[in-house]
Amino acid sequence: MSLPILVVDDSAMARKMLIKSLPPEWDVEISQAGNGKEAMEAYRAGKAAVMFLDLTMPEMDGFQVLEALRQEDLNSMVIVVSADIQPVAQERAMAMGAIAFVKKPVSPDMLNSVLKQYGVI
Amino acid sequence: MNPSMLTTDQRDALQELTNIAMGQAGASLATLLDEFVDLSVPRIRIVEVADLPAALAELVGKNNLVSAARQSFYGHLRGEAIVIFGEPGCQALADLMGFEGDLGEQGETELLLDVANVLCGACLGGMMEQIRNFTDTGGPAELSFSMPSLMARQVTAGQLIDSKRVQWSHALLLEVNFTIKNRDFIAHLTMLMPEEGIDKIRAIVDEFLEAF
Repeated sequence: MSLPILVVDDSAMARKMLIKSLPPEWDVEISQAGNGKEAMEAYRAGKAAVMFLDLTMPEMDGFQVLEALRQEDLNSMVIVVSADIQPVAQERAMAMGAIAFVKKPVSPDMLNSVLKQYGVI
Repeated sequence: MNPSMLTTDQRDALQELTNIAMGQAGASLATLLDEFVDLSVPRIRIVEVADLPAALAELVGKNNLVSAARQSFYGHLRGEAIVIFGEPGCQALADLMGFEGDLGEQGETELLLDVANVLCGACLGGMMEQIRNFTDTGGPAELSFSMPSLMARQVTAGQLIDSKRVQWSHALLLEVNFTIKNRDFIAHLTMLMPEEGIDKIRAIVDEFLEAF
């Protein structure tokens, strides 16, 4: 069965860039969300075994999603994908339960190595 | 094409390009001030020059007093970068950078110019890096900068620009802001580009969109 993954970013182009950078052989069913609220709905619907999460978003940002996930058992592997490259942003995201932090703009090589490192693929 | 038009996709791509660029500016500011900096979602407007003061006032808050520094950039893109500091930004900056006592007006001005320079350089540098990486620029995608200069102290955002003295018809206005919670600090980084710059940006984002 395909693995349900969720791509969360307010930018459609950023979501497209990320989806195009995923390993082509990875058997996944991809859903998308344009903000944190949509992300939580998709998560509750079981569409996010793995979540690629942007931090800077309107409505509900990535940190708020991490907080909400933590209150709901965090049944998802969250990989933060962000242009916010402050070391503190990275530390904070990891402390809040993200398994990895990928800097934007994403590249296939970078995503591949993160997914391998954490045994996702 | 009407210069006021960007398609939804073009706007989205430009917003993401700006978002990545501002991430670098935010990281530079965080390093400089040794504080965590909250980044905003970029805002994009195309306005007639006569409406520029009102657009700035809307982005920054029309009754807030601000100080601002500007820097021209030219080369692959041409325009003005303006960093607008909310009050009491200057004192907050001085505190964050560990200055003690009264800096004096000259000292404060130097501080604003230094921080503006860091933000403009990092943000525009980040933008150019992506343009080089993702588009076929057909030439060196480089920018040069003028020395930063002070525009005004303690005025409202609507008073910063005298639109009658701007020789453009339309301007592309990009805004991002950096805030430090509990420190009363906010700096808006705005980039203004004239109409031919809008065409160039449109061509750049189209290449981006084709690449993905």
